[in-house]
Amino acid sequence: MIDLLSILSIILIISSLCVFGIRNYKLATCAYSFQTFILVMIFIYLYKTYSADELGSWAIIAFFTKVIFVPVILLRLIKKLKVEHEDEPVLGFYVSPIVAIAFSLAIAMALYPIYLKFSLIKEHIPLIASITIFMIGIFGFVLRNSAIKQILAYCTFENGIHLSLALMAYNSPEIVELGILTDALFAVIITSIFASRFFKYFGSLDVSKATELKG
Amino acid sequence: MDIQQLLYLLMVLPVIASVVIWFLPKNYKVLSTFHILGSMATSIIGLLAVSKVIDGQTYFIFDEMFFLDSLGAVFISLIAVTGLLVNLYSVKYMQWEVEKGELTVKDTKLFFTLFHLFVFTMTFSVLANNIALMWVGIEATTLSSVFMVAIHKSKKSTETGWKYIIICSIGLAFALYATVLLYSAGFNIINDSHSAMLWTTLMAHSKEIDPDALKLIFIFALIGFGTKAGLAPTHTWLPDVHSEGPAPSSAMLSGILLKCAILALIRYYAVVGNSLAGFEYVQSLMIISGLVTIFIASFFLLMQHDVKRMFAYHSIAHMGVIAFGLGIGGAVGLFAALFHVLAHSVTKALAFCVTGNMIQIYGTRDMTKMGGLIKIAPITAILFGIAVCSLVGVPGFAIFVSEFLMIKQSIVNGLNLEVILFIIGLIIIFIADFSHFNLATFGKSNSKVLRNELPLSANLPLIGLASLIIIFGVFTIKPWFALLQNAVNIIMGI
Repeated sequence: MIDLLSILSIILIISSLCVFGIRNYKLATCAYSFQTFILVMIFIYLYKTYSADELGSWAIIAFFTKVIFVPVILLRLIKKLKVEHEDEPVLGFYVSPIVAIAFSLAIAMALYPIYLKFSLIKEHIPLIASITIFMIGIFGFVLRNSAIKQILAYCTFENGIHLSLALMAYNSPEIVELGILTDALFAVIITSIFASRFFKYFGSLDVSKATELKG
Repeated sequence: MDIQQLLYLLMVLPVIASVVIWFLPKNYKVLSTFHILGSMATSIIGLLAVSKVIDGQTYFIFDEMFFLDSLGAVFISLIAVTGLLVNLYSVKYMQWEVEKGELTVKDTKLFFTLFHLFVFTMTFSVLANNIALMWVGIEATTLSSVFMVAIHKSKKSTETGWKYIIICSIGLAFALYATVLLYSAGFNIINDSHSAMLWTTLMAHSKEIDPDALKLIFIFALIGFGTKAGLAPTHTWLPDVHSEGPAPSSAMLSGILLKCAILALIRYYAVVGNSLAGFEYVQSLMIISGLVTIFIASFFLLMQHDVKRMFAYHSIAHMGVIAFGLGIGGAVGLFAALFHVLAHSVTKALAFCVTGNMIQIYGTRDMTKMGGLIKIAPITAILFGIAVCSLVGVPGFAIFVSEFLMIKQSIVNGLNLEVILFIIGLIIIFIADFSHFNLATFGKSNSKVLRNELPLSANLPLIGLASLIIIFGVFTIKPWFALLQNAVNIIMGI
């Protein structure tokens, strides 16, 4: 019988794929918010099951910063730029998610035994999910050309690392979690500013149109 | 003042300088005065702290989460020396930008504010003993410097900023995975969450940590910190960022920032090398990475006519040289790699600052439109010549020392094919550089000359950098050699 943690992990992978694949910016941002909400649920589950007190506070911080704050920044950016849909990505709308999930799962299956060996919480499916989400985020950068989708890709792989950290190193000093999260938030704010500037100068969010610098 | 107080000050002073400048009125004289005062104070404290660890001592602060050892001191020296001289030059350079209307005084205020914040993030990463905080520091260097690079409001500047933050963030994500994995693998042995994050503890227990995990960890660290250091194939952000930013920010990025990323990589190199995975493993990866980087950079170098882009590819090539030195390994290889860190830092800071002068003189970065620099601005031409001579490894200049040691040790170690490839790479760089140097320096100017020689006040910091290049190329500076030797011992776990 599949347990709740595994179900949440599978939902996490599916929601990552939604963030990657949905063309509509608002919907993709909402999918990211939902994905992070599932991540928070996983933190709470692990906190209860493994008496990992640190993960209780991680869940609260992640809820306010990543379920609410980051999506609000992105939704405001989308509203300001008056953009709705992303342009055609590399490999097309239908092939790119298939490539991303196939390669991400393959890499996750290859790497997770090493992760499992040292993980504080030895849960197979969440570990596979953490690496898969990280790789989907990386593929988001490679395969999607939209600046907003690339910011969402950054947020996605950051969630993958966050889950890995929760499984493998939840007992690390709190300053570590604080430092990593602060960097991630500033990265989202700064990339949002650049996405806005990009739209102003290039009249588009398609980063493949930026060809001023070559050679 | 004891060393602990110095270390606290070293971390706090740049933040204070940054905050103070942010709240100053928009008056260029006031801003530049505080900028210089802040830089001088940071540099003096930095050098005082370095002087305390020359003999191989290590000092900790903040519950051992930060520390200064001889290895870190090598890099604090760069921040103190190169950082100060570039800061002094930046005051003149930004003044020219304001006079030309390229930037406003408000922009320069932001630039100086970020400059000190950037110094803080680099110092933070160098002093971090906690490996996760080291990663936080390296990632923060990108965030604090991106608006220094993309300060001009233009298409190119925006594209540069975007590439910089995105590519470096992707790369560093792998480094964060390396950090998490190393902590987990270390915690299995050490069983203490605080100590398992500390590099010094991980080094002490390196032989007990699973070697297979460490091999994967080093690959992740190489991808991650290698991206930030400009190692191929993830170097693609570097030519754009170093060529598009104002000359002082290019000098800081090339002269210091890349080296901070190299230090992070060296910390992983040391842990994995001293483990059962062995130095052979990390050395073989570094040699491949170094040679690929040198060849890719030298190929692109041949095609450059943009003087800043040329020096940007040089940065990549020389990061390859440092990687090659780490690949040779052993006492001499590591010594050469660390010597190259300083030699390249002062050389590249000079090179980029000189391009600032050249852009003022010709109003262009295109070397085919230059010419006759030796007659128009002889001091700038000589400084340009010194930078180029050092970059190509002419005897008597700093970079020659490290490259010579690397070649010699490669032959001693029987790395015949590797050393042949290394020399071929250096020859390509030599040819490319001197043809470009001739193009800009001799003959007649191919475009309208906007001004003659820059004032001595602008050139003085550059003369300081040039002097260091020659001093380190000719003389044996005993305290510096002692510091490097102790740093090598730390890497080798002696």
